[in-house]
Amino acid sequence: MEHLPKMITVYIAKSIITMNASMPRAEAVAVRDGKILETGTLESLQPWLSRHDHKIDEQFKDSFIVPGLIDPHLHPSMAAVLLPTYFITAMEWKMPWGTTPATRSAVEYDERLKEALSKPTHGELFITWGHHNLWHGPISRSRLNSIDSKTPIVVWNRSFHEVCMNDAALELLEIKEADVENATQIDFEKGRFYEIGLGYAIQKLNPYILAPEVFKEGLLKLKEVVHFGGQTTIADMAVGLFDFETELNTQAALYENEDNPFRVELIAHSTVMQKGNSIEQAEELIAKLPERNSHRLNFRKRVKLFTDGAFFSQVAQLMEPGYIDGHHGEWLSTPEQFEENVRVFWNKGYAIHVHCTGDLGLELAVDTLEKMQDEKPRFNHGFTIEHFGLSTPEQVFRLSRLGANISANAYYVHELSDIYSNDSVGYERASSMARIGTSFREGITTTLHSDFTMAPAQPLMSMWVAVNRINEKGNVMCEEERITPQQGLEAITINAARVLGLDHEIGSIRAGKKADFTVLQENPLEIDPIKIKDIDIKATVFEGKVFNLKSQ
Amino acid sequence: MIPVTVVAGYLGSGKTTLINQFLKETESPIAVLVNDFGELNIDAELIDNQDSLTLSLTNGCVCCKLSDDIGVSLESLKGKDINAVIIEASGISLPIKIANYGLSWPGFSLKGILAVADGQSIGTLLEDKFVGYTVKGQIEQADAVLLNRSYGLSLEALNELNKNIFLEEEVSNYGDLLSAKYFAKHFIEENLKEHATFQSSIFTSNKPIKREDIKKYILLNPNIQRAKGWVCEENGVCSLLQMTPSECNFSPSDFKSQTRVVFIYTGKLSPPEF
Ligand SMILES: [Zn+2]
Repeated sequence: MEHLPKMITVYIAKSIITMNASMPRAEAVAVRDGKILETGTLESLQPWLSRHDHKIDEQFKDSFIVPGLIDPHLHPSMAAVLLPTYFITAMEWKMPWGTTPATRSAVEYDERLKEALSKPTHGELFITWGHHNLWHGPISRSRLNSIDSKTPIVVWNRSFHEVCMNDAALELLEIKEADVENATQIDFEKGRFYEIGLGYAIQKLNPYILAPEVFKEGLLKLKEVVHFGGQTTIADMAVGLFDFETELNTQAALYENEDNPFRVELIAHSTVMQKGNSIEQAEELIAKLPERNSHRLNFRKRVKLFTDGAFFSQVAQLMEPGYIDGHHGEWLSTPEQFEENVRVFWNKGYAIHVHCTGDLGLELAVDTLEKMQDEKPRFNHGFTIEHFGLSTPEQVFRLSRLGANISANAYYVHELSDIYSNDSVGYERASSMARIGTSFREGITTTLHSDFTMAPAQPLMSMWVAVNRINEKGNVMCEEERITPQQGLEAITINAARVLGLDHEIGSIRAGKKADFTVLQENPLEIDPIKIKDIDIKATVFEGKVFNLKSQ
Repeated sequence: MIPVTVVAGYLGSGKTTLINQFLKETESPIAVLVNDFGELNIDAELIDNQDSLTLSLTNGCVCCKLSDDIGVSLESLKGKDINAVIIEASGISLPIKIANYGLSWPGFSLKGILAVADGQSIGTLLEDKFVGYTVKGQIEQADAVLLNRSYGLSLEALNELNKNIFLEEEVSNYGDLLSAKYFAKHFIEENLKEHATFQSSIFTSNKPIKREDIKKYILLNPNIQRAKGWVCEENGVCSLLQMTPSECNFSPSDFKSQTRVVFIYTGKLSPPEF
C-alpha cells in the first residue's frame, strides 16, 4: 500500500443518538478519514482498535452526539442581503454575534434605533430590518428624522414589502419629490415605499445592498449562522434568486475550503434557468450543472418549481372558503405551464421540489403528481412539497399514496398562527398550518426547514415548534398535529437527508456514513420539550473535523 | 411621462398574436416587455426592431422583490426614444398588479389595460378551480376586451364582467381599418380616455339606405368615434364608408349585398331609424 490509513479517532459521549433504528444508542463512534468506521461501545469497537492506530477523544464525554443537523431549504443569497443589516425585531433572534432581543413597542423601537445609531460601526447608509407596524407603530420620515436627521436611515419591514427612509437617505439615494410625485405606491411625504414603489427604492438601494463586498460579508455571516445552528448540511433551495453566477461563484469562493463546517446542496431554480429558453433547454442547462460541482458544493438531479405565492404575504392560493376578507392569492405560473414543466423534469428522472403554500397551491401539485404517476409511474421519486403552509388531511393522504415527501416550515405556526387566526383564515385552518402530525401518521418522509431568512436557521428551533406548536402568544396550536421529539429529531436529520437524496451518506450515525455530528449539552429526546430550542450546541463535526462553538 | 399599456389574458388567448400584428403595423418606437414563462413566442425580428426587452414576471414571491425585473426594465427605458410601453402580462397575472407599474413607477403613466380572451375556452376557464378567479379578474379589470373566436357565443356572462367587449370577427371583417391591430393601435397609441368606454354596434339592413341619411345620423351623434362598412343605395350600388373624427368618406366598392356598418362610439347610441 502506498499510504497507510490515517489514525482512527474514537469519540465518546454520554450518549450517541444515532437515528439508526437498528442501533439507536451508542457510547462511542470510531472515525477515520472523515468517515464512520463503527458505532457502539469502546468494547465492541475493539476489533478495529486492536488492529489500528487510534486515539480516544474525550472532549465530548459529557455531551450528547446526534447526526449533523440538516436544513434542507434556505436561501444563502437572501441571507447575504439581510445579515449585514441591523436587526430590530418583534421576535427574539439568536445570532452568533449576539441575541437580538424582542422589541415590542414603539418607544422601545425608537430607543433601540437611537442606540444602534450612536455606535460608530455602521457604514454610509444605515439599514435596519424587522419593523412591524402591529408591534412598533407606523413608521414615517418625520419619525426617523426626529431620531437622527444626519445619518441616512432605511427601515426595512419584517415582511420585506416596505421600506421607509429619512431625509438624509432620500438625499443620499437621490430620490427627489418631483421624480416620484405621480407614483401611487410611494408616499414621499412619509418617506414610505411599498409594492411597486418598493421596487423603485430597492433599485436605488441595490448598489449598497448587492455591492460585492457587502454580499460577501453577508455570506460570511451566514457561514457563522449555519455553524451556530449546529448544521453540517444546508440546501440552497433556488440558486439564482438575484444573480446565478454571482451567487454560485461567491459561495464557491467562500465555502469551498477546509475551514468550512458544512456542505451546500444546490438546487436550480427552474424559472431562472428558463429565462429566454424553453423548458427543455432549461432542463439541458440544469443537467450540466453538476459539472461545476466541488467537494462541498453540489448540484444533483433536482429542480425547484413553484405553484402559489408567499405565505408571509398572504398570497397563498386557498381553496374555499378562502381568506376572511375575500382577497385571493397568486399563482406563480399557470397550471398548464406548471404541469408541462413538471412533466419535462419528471420524465427525465428528476426529484422535483415544489414550493406550495396554500391548500389550492398544494392541490395543483397533488393533481399534477397524480397525473405524472398515471403517465409514467415512478418510485422513490423525491417529489417534495416545500413549505406546506395550509393543507387538508385528504391531501396529505393522497401525497402519501403518491409517494411524495414533505419539507415543512413549522415556524409558520409559531409566528403566524395567532395573527392568521384573527385576521386571515380563522382559527381552524390557522391552527393546523404545517399539518405535520398527520404527515407522520401517513408515513410520509417529513422534514423541517427554516427557509432562512423567513425563520431562524436553527433546526432545533424548527424541531421545538413542531414538537410543541406554541405560537408567539404562548398558546398551543392544534396539539393533534404535534410530533414526538423522536420524530422531530428524525425530521432534522435522517428525513432531511432522505429528502435531499443523501441518506446513504449522512443523516444518521452508522458504519460507512460521513462523520457529521452535532454535539449537544442536553439530550433532545429526554429534555423537557419546551427547552429543546435552548439546548446549548457545543460543537459540530464535519467529515471528522471538529468545529467548536463558543458557549451560547 | 411614458404611457404604459398592459395587455393581459390567459395562456393561449391571443395576446402575442395581437401584439405581433400591432408591432408589424406601427411606426412609432415602442418597447414591449414580455414575460418568459415559455408561453410566448414573439417573432425575434420584430422584437429587435422594437427595442424590446424580455423579462420574467415573478409576482407574488417575497424573494423576488429585490430583483424587480419590470421596474429595472422600465428604468432602463428612461431617456430612450420610446413613445409607449406595452407590458404583456403573464397568463396568471392580474392586470391591475402589472398596471401598478404604470401608476407607480416614476416617469411612467398608465394608459390602460387591454385584455384578450379566447371565446372557445373562456367559459371553461372562468369555472376552472385553479384559475377561475384570475381569469375573471383579467376580464373585469380591463378597460376593454378583445374576444377572439367568439362564434355562437352568448356574451351575457362576459358582459356582466366587462361592458367593453369587442368581437375580433366583428372588428376584422372590414379589412384593415377595424382590424385587431387597428384596435390595438388605438388602444396603445391614441388617447385611451375615449376608448376605455368604447362600445360597438352593427347596423344591418336589407332596405336601400341613402348615404346622406347615414351622414346625418353620424352628425347627430357626435359620440360616434369610428364607423366603417358598406352602404347600399336604391340602385343596388354599394359604397364603402370610412369615418374617423376628422373625415367621413364614401368610396366606390364592388361589394353587392346588404348594408352593414359598424359603429364604434362612447356612451349611449340609439340605433338609426332609416
Ligand atoms: Zn424558499
